[in-house]
Amino acid sequence: MVLQKNRNQLCAVDSTVNDNVMELHDVGVQYRTRRSFFRHDYFTALEGVSFTIKRGETLGILGSNGCGKSTLLRVLANIYGVDSGTVSWHCKQVALLSLALGFDPELSGRDNAIISGMFLGARKREVLAMLDEIIEFSELEGFINNPIKTYSSGMRARLGFSVALKMRSELLLIDEVLGVGDGKFKLKANKAMLDKINSKQTVVLVSHSMNQILKLCERALWLDQGKIKMIGETEEVVSAYQQFIKN
Amino acid sequence: MVAVLYLVFGVFLETKTSDFLIFLICGRIPFSWFSRSIGNATGSIIAGRGLINQVSIPMPFFPLLVVFQDAFKQTVVFVFMFGFLYLYGLDISWVWLSIIFVILTQFLLTFAFAMLVAAVTPYIPDFRYLISTGLMALMLGSGIFYSYTDVIHPDHQRLFLMNPIANLIKNYRQVLMDNVLPDWSALGLICLGSLVLIMIMTWYYKKTETNYARLIAQ
Repeated sequence: MVLQKNRNQLCAVDSTVNDNVMELHDVGVQYRTRRSFFRHDYFTALEGVSFTIKRGETLGILGSNGCGKSTLLRVLANIYGVDSGTVSWHCKQVALLSLALGFDPELSGRDNAIISGMFLGARKREVLAMLDEIIEFSELEGFINNPIKTYSSGMRARLGFSVALKMRSELLLIDEVLGVGDGKFKLKANKAMLDKINSKQTVVLVSHSMNQILKLCERALWLDQGKIKMIGETEEVVSAYQQFIKN
Repeated sequence: MVAVLYLVFGVFLETKTSDFLIFLICGRIPFSWFSRSIGNATGSIIAGRGLINQVSIPMPFFPLLVVFQDAFKQTVVFVFMFGFLYLYGLDISWVWLSIIFVILTQFLLTFAFAMLVAAVTPYIPDFRYLISTGLMALMLGSGIFYSYTDVIHPDHQRLFLMNPIANLIKNYRQVLMDNVLPDWSALGLICLGSLVLIMIMTWYYKKTETNYARLIAQ
């Protein structure tokens, strides 16, 4: 089943097996800001954005601050509705990678891992099946039954990262790949995340690191002031973007 | 709050109602439940900003979470309240069981209004001040520390009872203090009105769901 979205309307559309995970057609998003009681200003965050995400690929998104990268990720995750155009999903699960999602300080590390996993789109039994792996990766075996208000911020981040890493979704949206924790854990976390991105997982990755985009992505999309400036092979897009920055 | 009201109205102003303390408890405790839930629900979507901006989640989740949390706490309060009324020496009869329907009606009403106030605040943040003033006005207008039959002109009593909270409080007192079954038609009307409001709000949330994330991100 495909979910097609047009002006905040979700409707089911019949589909056969599709190579594309998602299709955006002429998508526009505006933010409304209040000037006075009845007057509003509109800021266009995305305009005329059309592209497709192919199954299994890693698509990099680059652009300067405020060009609409995070807004685009939120549109892909169905967090933001669109003001114009259509978004069609050919997948059931889309997850925006978020660390420590929905953590409650009073609950134990174990319960928080379950809740966070469920917020990332998994069913409770799926999280439970994966719980031992999550706890092992986070290296928090001795503390997992304590309330997370007793954790250090590093420990909390490690638990959040482990949950996010182990959850499976058809399309993973990542706003900067972040390693967390101390030196040793950070290396392990970075490696695990890179392995995940390099696997058959479909990923949309926003990053300011050109090296990371070059290393991980098959295609890249350059966003400028809410519009697509260029989309295509990573090397071509990155070199054009770097040229643009130099000028 | 009950103690302060008792001191002011029962002791200082020598209110002539018999069992004034029980009268106050039967009014103030149900009102506190409604007031607390509505107050908490007002900012619930804004308070959920962290989640809303990271995951696609239905907006009614936030006011409903508040309503269910408060209802759970309230069951404990009601247990203490009924225990106190029993120890105070009120006659307990089978009629008391019908209080469950009054409580369920209030739950439905709270549910409906929580969905409404939670939907408005993200658009108009200052609405929360209006809510707190409104709740204060509601407290004064719901006959918590006065008996509407003594104070209000008979011609206006029907109008007074059109306030669903005043009507519910009347029913709490009717069941617990007078051992009389509640006014079923009034409860039915409140339930019906609440269900209509819940349906309207469900439709509204469905229609505007993905607008809220953008709205509160700004």
